[in-house]
This record gives sequence, structure tokens and C-alpha cells, in this order.
Amino acid sequence: MEKVQLTVPEQKGEFESQYHRYWEEMPCYLSVHDQDFRIIDGNRRFREAFGERIGQYCYKVYKGREEICPNCPVEATFADGQNHPSEQLLTTKDGLEVPVMVHTTPITDDSGEVVAVMEMHTDIGEVKRLQALLQRSQERLVQLFEEVPCFITVQGPDRVIQHANRRFRETFGDPVGENCFKMYKHRDEQCLVCPMQQTWDTGETREHEEVLFTKEGEKLDALCTTAPLRNADGEVEAVIEMCIDITQIRELQSQLASIGLLVGSISHGIKGLLTGLDGGIYMVNSGFAKEKPERIEKGWEMVQRNVERIRSMVLDILYYAKDRELIVEDVDLEALVAEFREGLEKKASDADTEVRVNLAEDTGIFAGDPQAIRAMLLNLLENSLDACRMDKEKGDHWIRLGVRREAPWLLIEVEDNGLGMDQETREKIFSLFFSSKGIKGTGLGLFISNKIVDKHGGTIEVDSEPGRGTRFNVKLPLDAKPSIQPEDEVS
Amino acid sequence: MNETDRRVLIVEDDPDIVDYLSFFLEDEGYAVEAASRCSTAREMMDDFRPEVILIDALLPGKSGLELLVSLRRDPQWSDLPMVVVTGNDTLLEDDCQSYLGAFEGVRGPDGVLGKPVDRESLLAVLKTLLDDTKPN
Repeated sequence: MEKVQLTVPEQKGEFESQYHRYWEEMPCYLSVHDQDFRIIDGNRRFREAFGERIGQYCYKVYKGREEICPNCPVEATFADGQNHPSEQLLTTKDGLEVPVMVHTTPITDDSGEVVAVMEMHTDIGEVKRLQALLQRSQERLVQLFEEVPCFITVQGPDRVIQHANRRFRETFGDPVGENCFKMYKHRDEQCLVCPMQQTWDTGETREHEEVLFTKEGEKLDALCTTAPLRNADGEVEAVIEMCIDITQIRELQSQLASIGLLVGSISHGIKGLLTGLDGGIYMVNSGFAKEKPERIEKGWEMVQRNVERIRSMVLDILYYAKDRELIVEDVDLEALVAEFREGLEKKASDADTEVRVNLAEDTGIFAGDPQAIRAMLLNLLENSLDACRMDKEKGDHWIRLGVRREAPWLLIEVEDNGLGMDQETREKIFSLFFSSKGIKGTGLGLFISNKIVDKHGGTIEVDSEPGRGTRFNVKLPLDAKPSIQPEDEVS
Repeated sequence: MNETDRRVLIVEDDPDIVDYLSFFLEDEGYAVEAASRCSTAREMMDDFRPEVILIDALLPGKSGLELLVSLRRDPQWSDLPMVVVTGNDTLLEDDCQSYLGAFEGVRGPDGVLGKPVDRESLLAVLKTLLDDTKPN
């Protein structure tokens, strides 16, 4: 027995020295605290980092504080005997800040009473660094998602929008819990062709062009791409859709297309006029050769007429190209008509057509853009003249310009007893590049006339029947202001 | 007009072009009549009995190609040489084909001339078409 009793203390001493080595070499800061929060022991790492501070208050040693920390885990362990893990920031004797994970454990005496608390601080500086890195990259990803200059949504398996970026929310509203067709197109049911659905079904990327409507109802042209988001097993978990606003590109394209149409229309018109010029020149030349003065005269008229047409075509093109704003001033319509009346009558007599002008005495002065109104009147009158020239059915042709005042309007009528138009032609005459004159029209004249009247805040209507003739009724406000719409004026 | 003159009917709505082509072809020894509409052209054909017809592709109301189809379908005129004149010459070949393609069995125009009409080409086309037929 004695032997045993002898060996046990010896073994106990070995154990103690062995465990003391373990205590000393534990890869963390270990300290033991009494009930007054004084440190009564510490391992080597503790001493190296915080100095020989046995007997000092732990809050002073670890944090340089003068009083106990709020939520002190040592205090809590004294109270309930449990571990109270927490994250803390310690400051070493060299002033280095060390983020640590703290665990506490009670040390009891033989009676089971907690007489001290051991604290273990594990350096989590590396973990913290990685966490911060992760958070930064997460924030960066969120920022990318939020700020990317297009509309992005992510749809879950229930086909409901789970996420949307800032640009989407600002343009289309808060979408969470809504369907894309509701947000993008204000529809109550899925679109007939749904690229999102196709991506769900096939797991493949789809690209498509859509017309979208913002929360304010504004129309947007968009290029949309859908792509699957897969989980670790490769199953489609969500679908992401990215829509790029291409409205401006489309507008530019349509402007280019309209320039293309203009060029086509002009070259078409010029070809017609060249034929007319060719014809005139041929007739003048052959008239001289055959000594036929009538033919020379007819040919020369043809040359003049076609040169005049080229001139007015060029003016139309310039007007169209500039799209000028109105320059409103006092217009004396009588004086304005007098300016072009002689030229018009000459052209009309060449076409065996009578010009009738009825200006009411009280026509007077009104506010408008004289240059634009002259262009508009000439366009309408020359159209009338063409309609008479092309009409072979009637013997006597006339065109008529009538103007009278009916406050707040100036009423202008341009009438002829020429060819007249069928319904289809009537409906299209104010469209850009529509011409009923075959090769000699550019489809600009009436389009521009309509625009001029519209800019004055007036209206233009046409009354026509094939064989009977045509009448244009123009209503211009007596005091035009630029950009007034007729509706505004009426209401 | 002499009995031996070859007869050309011009279907064209632009009076300048009608005048021009009429004077020119008459100078070249053709007998010419002109119509500004398809319907007028049809009315004139029985009396005038044209040997070749020049049709403007873009006639008001009814297009020149419609006139061509209706004449091709008329046994009396189906073999009449027809020349289409157009300002839109680049599009014409395709347009003619796609338009006429809709009418099965309808033969297209025997010649196509672009505007502005080249006088030498016009004479060449008429000569080729009329040399194949004897005066009647």
C-alpha cells in the first residue's frame, strides 16, 4: 500500500508537470480569473502578449479599461457555471489589436463552488480577415447586381420575381412576389412566347427583343437575355433575365430608315423629273430640226415645268431636313398671295387651268410664320394644278384659293376640279413618302404642309372624290403660338 | 399615220412622258396612242389594235402589273408583246416576279425599261419584239 501511496504522488507530480507544459504551450491565451476579475494565472502565450500582469484586473489587462466590461463572460460564468462564448477585441502590451473568440469555464473547489473562471482566447484574426474579404466581395457582387446599367430580375421555380436590381425597381417598381409579365408588360397572364419559360424548360440561354412598359407607362424597346442559374447538382434553380434598353438605338435606326426612304423617294422623284427634262429637250431639239415651233414651245414648257418641280422638291427636302421651328410674325395674307400669284397663273395657263382667288375683305393681318404658310399654300396649289393636268376626262379645269376670317380661325380652302382621289389615297396623302403622282412625287409635299399647319395649332382636312376633284380645308388660329396642339386650343 | 406603221399603245399617267414618248416614237415611224388609266387603255384596244404596249408600272388606281395580268388572261391579247416602264428599276425584277408569282401561269413582261427612258433601248426593245411578229 505504501508503495502505491508513494508512486501516486510521484505520478501525480509527473502528470502535473506534463499538464502544466500543455497549459503553457496551448496555442491560445489562457487566463484564470478570481471573483474580483483579477487574473490569477496565465499561460506563456498570455504572458508574451500581455506581460507579467498576474494580480491585475482582466479588463485592464486585456482592454486597457478602468472598469468591468459590459456583458463580461467571466462574470456570467461565475453566476451560472456555464460557458459564455463571445467575440472580443483585445489589445496586447505592444498595442496590437487581436480579435479573439472567448470561451469560459468554471473552476470549482471540492465543495463544487465556483472559485475561479478560466478564459480561453483563440486568435481569430485570420478568420476575421477572410470574413471581411468575403463580405467585401459579397458587397461588391451586390453592388454590381444593383448598379449594372440594365434591368435584371431573378425568377424562382414559382415563376415569381425573387430579386431585381435598382435600375429595375426604379423603372418598373418593386417586383418582389410579382410575375415578370405583370411588371414588364402590365399583363395579367404569361406572354404567348415566354423566353423565361423556354429557359426553365430547356436550361438554355435565350435572346429576344421585347417592348416593355415602365411604371409610368412609357414604352421601352429592350434586348433581353435569359440564362439558367443551376445548383450544385446541375439542376435549374432559378432563371436570370437581363434586359438592355435599346430604345435610342431603335429610334436612330428608324431615323436612318427614314433617311433611306427619303433618299429612295428623292432618287425616284428625280428620275421622273429627268424623264420630263429629257422629253422637253428632245422636243425642243426635234422641233428645231423639223421646224415645228409648236413642238419647241411645248418642249420648252416641259423643261421649265420640270426645272420648277426640281426646285420645289429641293425646297421640300430642305424643309424636311431642317424641321425648323415657327418664326411667328404678322402675316398679311393678301400680300403673301400677291407674291406668288403671277407665277402660279403662268403655270396654270400652261396647263390650261384657270386660277380663282377669293380673298374675303376682312382677311387682314394674322399671326403666323409667313415663309411656312407660303410653302404650305404653294404645295397645296401645285398639287391641285397637277391634279388638273393629269385629268383627261374634263375639258375646263380650275383651281381655287379661298380665304376668310371666322374668329378665332383663319379658314383657307384650296380646291380643284382635277382627278380627285379615292378613299385609300385620301387616307394616305399626309403620310411621309406617300405619293399618288407615280414617279414625279416624293411624298414630302403634303406631309410637310400638314406639319406646318399642325405647328401653327391648326387642322387640315381633305374632301375628295375620283373624277370630281379635291378640296383641302385648312384652319389656322389667328394668333398662332409655336407648338400649340389643336386639341389644346379647342378645349 | 400610215397603214404600215407599227402600232404602240402607251399606258402612262404623266402627260409629259406621254407627250415625249409619243413625239419620239412617231418621229421614229410608229403609230402611237396613249391612255392615262388602265380602264381607258382597255377601251381603246379594240379600235387601235396595238402591236406592242408600254405600261407604266405605277399607274394610279390600278397598277400597271394588274393590267398586264388581265391582258395575259384575255385570249385576244395574251400574246401581245408587253413592256413595263418603271422608275423603280432596281426593285422591278423582284417585284414583278413576286407579284406575278401570285398568278400561276401568267407570263411576265416581254421587256422592262427603267426611267428615265433611254431612247436607244426603247427602240431596240420595240424592234426585237416587233420583228418576231408580222404587221397586221
